[in-house]
Amino acid sequence: MSMKATDHEPSDNKTIVQHVFDELARSNSQPLLDRLAEDFRFVIMGSGSWSRSFEGKAAVLAELFAPLREKIADRITIVPVRLIAEGDLVVVEARGRNTTRDGKAYDNTYCNVIRLEAGQFKEWTEYCDTLLVEKVLGPPGEAAKQLT
Amino acid sequence: MTAAANKQLLQDIFAAVAAGNRQPLLDHIADEVTMQVTGHNSWSQTFRGKEALVRDLYGYLATLLADGRRTVPLRFIADDDHVVVEAKGEMRTKAGIPYNNDYCLIYRLQNGRIVEIREYCDYALTEAVLGPFPASMKQRG
Repeated sequence: MSMKATDHEPSDNKTIVQHVFDELARSNSQPLLDRLAEDFRFVIMGSGSWSRSFEGKAAVLAELFAPLREKIADRITIVPVRLIAEGDLVVVEARGRNTTRDGKAYDNTYCNVIRLEAGQFKEWTEYCDTLLVEKVLGPPGEAAKQLT
Repeated sequence: MTAAANKQLLQDIFAAVAAGNRQPLLDHIADEVTMQVTGHNSWSQTFRGKEALVRDLYGYLATLLADGRRTVPLRFIADDDHVVVEAKGEMRTKAGIPYNNDYCLIYRLQNGRIVEIREYCDYALTEAVLGPFPASMKQRG
């Protein structure tokens, strides 16, 4: 933990993450994007075709968020269910409320472990139903493969 | 109990679980526990009560997995009555196939007892290695 991280009380981090997810529940991802550190890392756990570590905000946007938007109709919506926070870590249990471009419901269950530093998201570890990902989304598209 | 005390309790329990001893975990599960296996797959369901959990989930897993299964904790996060444990399974099926799942386990405690568990893990791996959960054993409601 850096000195900057300790400047932020747990309640601050929880409040920040609560706001980001309250907006994601309204399909507004801008507060999330504003909070991503340049060296932000997103890790999708497991053995699925999307499971890997995305290193850096630019890679997360290009190689994860963009391919995801290709699969999902309209804007992505994720509804927080419960937040659990200690120090620089905030855990968010959440439920997706999404539809694929070919009309299938994609309502995944998420447990996100988010590490913050100085109010910015530094690392996001996502646990979700990887089997649902494969069945409904399928593997990332060709565009994502070319970027990786 | 405080968040720190709850965290210490789970750390003690997982020190044993990581060594292949699940007894302290079982000893701290309340009779009225509910365990939710999250997601939308064959394993996804809620086990209500310790008896159902031990018989229908842990009992079934024991028929599939070799003895000596370990779950190694990586990180603990405690807040009020909740403790989150990120962990890595180190298991093998009875046929010798590795089953090393990634877990995020949420525990809610009350007076030193586990009253609620929610499991998030790689269910693509679960179904690939362990197969689907038997429909005949699926919990109702």
